[in-house]
Amino acid sequence: MAAIDAAELRAAVAVARKELRVARRYPLQLVNEVLQPLYQFLLPSLLLGATFLVGGRAIGLESVTGTADLAGYLFLGTVVGGLVSAAFWEMAFGLKREMDAGTLEPTWLTPTRPDTVVLGRALSGLVIAGGASAVLVCIGLALFGATVGQGLLLALPALAIAAVSMIGVGYLVASAVLLIREPNFFVDATNFLFAVVSGVAFPVLVLPALVQPIAYLLPTTYAVDLLRVYALGTRPLLDPALEWGALVVLAGLTIWIGRVAFRRTERRMRVRGTLGQH
Amino acid sequence: MSLPSLAADVRAFGAAALKEWRLLRRYPTLFVGFLFWPIALPLAYVFQARGYAGDSAAALDAFAARSGTTEVAGFLFLGWAAYMWISMILWGPGTALRTEQVRGSLEALFMTPVSRLVILFGPVVSQVVWAIWMFGIVAATMALVFGVEIALASALRALVVIGVAVPALYGLGALFAAVVLRYGEVSALVQGVRGLFTVFCGMSFPIVVLPEWGRAVALALPPTYLIGDLRRVLLSGASLAELVPSLAILLGLGLLICGMAVVAFRRTERYARRGGSLAQY
Repeated sequence: MAAIDAAELRAAVAVARKELRVARRYPLQLVNEVLQPLYQFLLPSLLLGATFLVGGRAIGLESVTGTADLAGYLFLGTVVGGLVSAAFWEMAFGLKREMDAGTLEPTWLTPTRPDTVVLGRALSGLVIAGGASAVLVCIGLALFGATVGQGLLLALPALAIAAVSMIGVGYLVASAVLLIREPNFFVDATNFLFAVVSGVAFPVLVLPALVQPIAYLLPTTYAVDLLRVYALGTRPLLDPALEWGALVVLAGLTIWIGRVAFRRTERRMRVRGTLGQH
Repeated sequence: MSLPSLAADVRAFGAAALKEWRLLRRYPTLFVGFLFWPIALPLAYVFQARGYAGDSAAALDAFAARSGTTEVAGFLFLGWAAYMWISMILWGPGTALRTEQVRGSLEALFMTPVSRLVILFGPVVSQVVWAIWMFGIVAATMALVFGVEIALASALRALVVIGVAVPALYGLGALFAAVVLRYGEVSALVQGVRGLFTVFCGMSFPIVVLPEWGRAVALALPPTYLIGDLRRVLLSGASLAELVPSLAILLGLGLLICGMAVVAFRRTERYARRGGSLAQY
């Protein structure tokens, strides 16, 4: 069994390397991984924030979160936003691209397990998202006056645990992508809601009371909160020890639920012979 | 152009619009999207604004002083509604041509005797339905959820502003269509231009917060006037007379862009015909 797992891991790494090699062939697309969050989210958000500044200081944000570092708050949010995006678009929607290209069925006929192939896509997606996030944080530091402390390093394990959770979520979304024939809107909308409710763009405390409990069920809520607590000194949503615990529990749960859902969907599609249909 | 030929073009225009509408109906998830995004996207920025304001009255006063209104939700909903409409128009004509190119029917379409305006804008007419739907949803959300009152007279003035913006925006759409004919792929360019508009035109902020050079860029772009004027008539109760200078600039920019689009489209069509590249992608 251990040998099989090692072989599957090698296959996942091989898939990830293949995806990264393909990505390298489209350098403009890679540049866009940095530019798109910048012009679609960060700059409009920063400029909206500038509208509320009093004497050049974000006193409103400070009253809610404990930090007046608007740029740091937003740029760290995009780090977790990148994780979410990797799970939804690279891992899950990648299956749709394979379907459209007609390569999904042949890939699944190889001895490598389908969930290993999806895991490989997740790894490559996370590498690209990690690289883009690092560049974005550097831009935030160099050009927008973000002041991220060394505590950021303490939060990196939280990002790693959240990445495991997002792989689980990615499996769940991938199951839905396999079942829905036109999943573009589904992936786009759920990706947006997941990121927004996690507090990537604003403190979850400003969400309506009915929505806040959902935020506390998402692993990314704790990841982004711990990141800001350690790097910017914001007030935590819960006791940090509880947040670490919640992150670990949610990582185990999402991976388990995601893999079970994906395997069931895969079996169902094999039985019905609908894998090649889209 | 003779009268019978004009009548034939009008019929062809209607037929192209009807065909696109039928195609749209085949994808019901699009209807959900057109219900979801006009609410979800601006709403996220409304929550963000709440985070920025916190419990500080001074922060809200700063917003009111810079934007000219205390209606934060109305300000953001109008900005993003305009953004979504602009996105539709930018994608519209170019995407329609690109779709025909991929399906292999573009060359056949150019062999027909209809006016190029029919080919370019016929399919886009169906999107007018979506634009009306989207502005309707935004108005309903502003009124029902955030209590922003929109008087009938203000709504009619907003329609005039939208009408004045049409030449500029559809001209831009036609320019993108020319790029499709010349280069085939247009999505990267559309993304870039959308990014430019998002950063400079004030969808989520008043342009006074931009640096001086940024304001100069903003004032050269038609969406800045569309968004600013929509906010002024709907949130500040401005009359059309007060908007004459900015509407004149918007109209002037529209005529300029339409002229450029006509020249660019004719040139690229001639290039594509000579090079036989109409069906290549």
